Amino acid sequence: MKRHLILEDGTVFEGLGFGAHATTFGEIIFHTAMTGYQEIITDPIYDGQMIVFAMPVIGAAGIHAEAYESVKPAIRGMIVHDLAEVSVNRQRRMNLDRFLKQHNIPGLYQVDTRKLIRHLRETGPQKATIVDFADDHAVDQLVATVLTNKQVQNTATLKPYANPGRGRHIVVIDFGLKHGILRMLGDYDANVSVLPYTTSVDEVLTLDPDGIILSTGPGDPRSLPDSVLTLIRVLQTKAPLLGIGLGHELFALANDATLAPLSSEHHGMNHPIQEIISRQIFFAMQGQGYAVDNDSIDRKKLFVTYRDLVDGAVQGLRHREYPAFSVQFFPDAAPGPLEATAVFADFFETVEDYVEHHS
Amino acid sequence: MSNITANNVLFIGAGANDFGREAEYDAAIYQVMPELRGHGVNVYLIDENPYSLSLESLAATAIWKPLTVENIKAVIKQYQIDTVLPLFGGERALRLWSQTVQAWSHGDGPVPQTLGLTIDMLLRVNNVAVLTSMMADAGLPVITNHVAKAQEDANELLREIKLPLMVRALHPNQANTRQIVERLDEFETAVKSAKSQSMTQEIVISRAINGMKEISLEVLRDFRGNKMQIGASEDMDPIGIHTADSLSVSPTLTLSDQILEKMRFYAFQVADLLELRGVLHVQFAVDDLTNAIYIIKISPYIDQMASRMALVTGYPVMLVAINLAMGVALEEIVLSHDFGKKMAMMEPMMDHVTVKLPIFPFGELEQAGVSVNRQLNSIQKSVGSTIGFGRTFIEALEKAIRSAHFNNASFSPTNMSHSSDDALIQQLIHPEDNRVLLLVEAIKRGYEIDELAELTNIDEFFFYQLRHLLKLELEVEQQVESVEALRRAKKYGLSDGLLARFWRTNFKNIATLAHENHIEPTFKALEPSAGEFPENARQYYSTYEEENESLPVSEDTVLVIGSGAFRMGDAAAGGYATTIVLSELRRLQYHTVIMNNNASDATLLQNLADKQYLEPLEISDVMKVVALEKPIAIIVPGNRRKLIDALADLKQNVLILPKEKHVPNGPDDTETEFALNVFSDGHNIYPINITQHMTGELRIVPEIAQLPIQLAQTHLENPGVYQVIWYQDTSEWVKHVDVPDISHDTWLRPMPFGQMAFMSKVMQVQWLRMTVRALLARMTSQDSELLTNVNKLTLQADVAMIASDINYALHLQPTQMIDGTRFEIGVGIKYDEQIKI
Repeated sequence: MKRHLILEDGTVFEGLGFGAHATTFGEIIFHTAMTGYQEIITDPIYDGQMIVFAMPVIGAAGIHAEAYESVKPAIRGMIVHDLAEVSVNRQRRMNLDRFLKQHNIPGLYQVDTRKLIRHLRETGPQKATIVDFADDHAVDQLVATVLTNKQVQNTATLKPYANPGRGRHIVVIDFGLKHGILRMLGDYDANVSVLPYTTSVDEVLTLDPDGIILSTGPGDPRSLPDSVLTLIRVLQTKAPLLGIGLGHELFALANDATLAPLSSEHHGMNHPIQEIISRQIFFAMQGQGYAVDNDSIDRKKLFVTYRDLVDGAVQGLRHREYPAFSVQFFPDAAPGPLEATAVFADFFETVEDYVEHHS
Repeated sequence: MSNITANNVLFIGAGANDFGREAEYDAAIYQVMPELRGHGVNVYLIDENPYSLSLESLAATAIWKPLTVENIKAVIKQYQIDTVLPLFGGERALRLWSQTVQAWSHGDGPVPQTLGLTIDMLLRVNNVAVLTSMMADAGLPVITNHVAKAQEDANELLREIKLPLMVRALHPNQANTRQIVERLDEFETAVKSAKSQSMTQEIVISRAINGMKEISLEVLRDFRGNKMQIGASEDMDPIGIHTADSLSVSPTLTLSDQILEKMRFYAFQVADLLELRGVLHVQFAVDDLTNAIYIIKISPYIDQMASRMALVTGYPVMLVAINLAMGVALEEIVLSHDFGKKMAMMEPMMDHVTVKLPIFPFGELEQAGVSVNRQLNSIQKSVGSTIGFGRTFIEALEKAIRSAHFNNASFSPTNMSHSSDDALIQQLIHPEDNRVLLLVEAIKRGYEIDELAELTNIDEFFFYQLRHLLKLELEVEQQVESVEALRRAKKYGLSDGLLARFWRTNFKNIATLAHENHIEPTFKALEPSAGEFPENARQYYSTYEEENESLPVSEDTVLVIGSGAFRMGDAAAGGYATTIVLSELRRLQYHTVIMNNNASDATLLQNLADKQYLEPLEISDVMKVVALEKPIAIIVPGNRRKLIDALADLKQNVLILPKEKHVPNGPDDTETEFALNVFSDGHNIYPINITQHMTGELRIVPEIAQLPIQLAQTHLENPGVYQVIWYQDTSEWVKHVDVPDISHDTWLRPMPFGQMAFMSKVMQVQWLRMTVRALLARMTSQDSELLTNVNKLTLQADVAMIASDINYALHLQPTQMIDGTRFEIGVGIKYDEQIKI
């Protein structure tokens, strides 16, 4: 049936509903990745957001067991141009439409997504709602709605849990962890303990980690309690540390850098990222609304390791004193180019080095 | 900054057109040669193809000679060539340059440097067995190759490898063909055939992987080892049907990110292994059940995939490729202002769907009484392709079908009910060129989608899509003149013409109904950022949505209707003709807009026209562009009679580029065809020369042609080059011929584009440009002067146009000989002392 997408600036788009017949509110952003829709909609970093896909046909690869980035998707809506009906599930005829229904997430298709993206490119992300009727009431409701800034609290684990392996012991601080990171750690046969971000220094150090990972997560890192930064300041001195996405932003904040919103949010895998030391260019999945302010970096503490060659944004930092570093992009390649996974190889080299010198 | 030192650079052209070798190489060379001037080098080009555009480019010194090792060596010596660029001439140029290097002797001086690939790699790339084992050693997933020479060795291998097998030639003397052997009794024939195609009489046998999905990736690599993916496509048809004969979709739709990323990683590894500085096409087979991936072919040079990806993504593949070859790092490539500033190093993203549809020569041959084997298999049968652009698979498919100029009615579901169920199943398993139609028919008869998917090895997605199309068409057909039905039909790309047929009316009524209800096409820009950045887009395609992005170019726009796909017959030179027309219009300072749908020629190069519409070329499509651009004139090839009449009917200013509707007749073995060639400027007729055409060869008769009195009095209103044709029962080349009584022993026709291209090169007179000037009343006094003496110009001609060595028997298995100068897939040239007086 006909449904509508209303943006906070009053723009209305018409489309046909799919997924759940629900009314939702969220922040709307656009994504240019051509593959990996299932990973994207299940990635906790998109908690509370509605995603517009530039790729015009979505759903033709089905819903796969291997493509979950969290068991329960946290997005608030999905806007596409054409919806394909395909199932590859052996147990259930599960396709994208049914998947969204099951998780009570509305979708809208047959939308002029190119027009919508060109619009969002100018306005930046804004509040949006998917409703049946685009009347004044709906607009008023949208304007009155205050979106949560508790996304990390929504998605991160409340209790510690283990993902055992026989290799190095890695502690993951969870800000909204995606499966890709665990999968990568699994490739190294790491013995993983996942801890809530409210964990204490003591709890971490008691586990005697060989390495620590600050996970990806949704939202604005500045809305997290200061205790998180204190935790990072201590942990980075104790064991090799890798921050990813939100974890990278927190690592920067903990070392006195500041964040600035990007002139336009970037969600996709088409930007060249350069490793500054080698001048090598590679590509990775990126999803960011904020970037570390280049001018705010205390060069005595940190240096820039990677940069986005399109918008110049800082994509990686390394601590001058400690074996601690971070990347803004997603090196778990779920979805995304595999060349980015070299970051994990780096991390485990650092871990081996640390273990060798501290045993 | 380039890190290469070069003074005199030689491009090796691709030679005559052939199966799998259309005008993409010529278009690539044509596009990149001017780019090299920025590097301060002298550019040379050797090619033999009479249809070549590049040979007429002012950006290079062109050498129009047959492509042989001797000629290449002679050119290198004469022009002190220090650098050779073989990668833009495709597989054939690569092979030729390898042979030249291998034939290099001590006295020849230093071997010129090769750009893009080292000589060592070049030699490996040309040896499929060596290449495969190199990849296997690097841990890449390849299928083991076994080389055999004698039939007994081949038979021995049968014990090791299970059927089905793939058999092909080692060191092939032509484009490599793969034959699939499914039954033992086919084995010996396949081995024989492959041996005959090998320069060393050796064959390569490997396990066939029929039924898997075929995926292509195009990637690039710079000298620093930076790599990037340009694009990917998936074939609807499984492995077992040649990729050129497959319906192919880009971007890939049915593959998961994980599979694609693995392929990308392998493609990057191959590029590193080859130490490539350029673009690479890697073909993969994917087993959908096990997710196993195999590399089945690598092409580290410009090919059809490269030019297709350039068109469908908007990424300037060729311009980037030449920079890579010249040793410019990816991040330092500077593109002209026609392109986004950072476009070269951003991976292209697509927010549209494209469908490539192969064009088969069966119709043209059937008309001429030649019947061929139509069954699709691992040997290419198609000669060209069209591309449909849309926002859904169905829309892109509908537009590709329309671009192919099939009768659209024959693709409607109401039309295919005659064959029995058994025949249908048989054809589903052994598909022919009407495959899509059969799939629709099978769905219509109620076969389950999973059954069909299993039977055909086609992904279920495509059946769901076709079922959707079928449902849509049936609904629309019943809801005569319903505005809602019209709106829905338009969204999925159904044309006014097709709807008119459904509703038993004409397209104008459909157009009016749409217009009255504000159902208007919206033109979307085709640019590689998928809307992320404002780019200087010049390429547009139509769809039916909310926002239109295309604004009129100017008030003095000339719209040029392209000639669509490469086809057998005179259309083979259609891309040449269209490109020359665009170039001349620009020289005359008109604003230009082109409509076309062929990725394999130069007509859609971004910088050749002010705007490109990637569209089908039917009247309703053309009128939608006309309504927006309001051109002062529309140039249409003369074979499009219906389109010309319809445009004239709608009061458009149509300028006709003379061209015959059907494949021109040609002489058989016992006769000769003479042509008195003349030019009409619309007022007067000027004699050019007389040509003699016997099977396989066309020569210029070495005498000054005069205009018969009856012809001098004739008025040929439409400017262009024409031929007065007559036949004689002779099989000797002549030095003189009398023109017969033209009132009844002859007939008049436009000179085929192919001959025009040949004649322009022989005479150094640009006949197509002259035609354009005449059409627009822009002839100069120099033109008039030239025309009064032009019949004295060809006496020096020592070059003949000859049929090139196209293996019709292999590709088409025709019932009788196919004369290459008549069907003109491709032609070559021959220099002959005998021809010269």
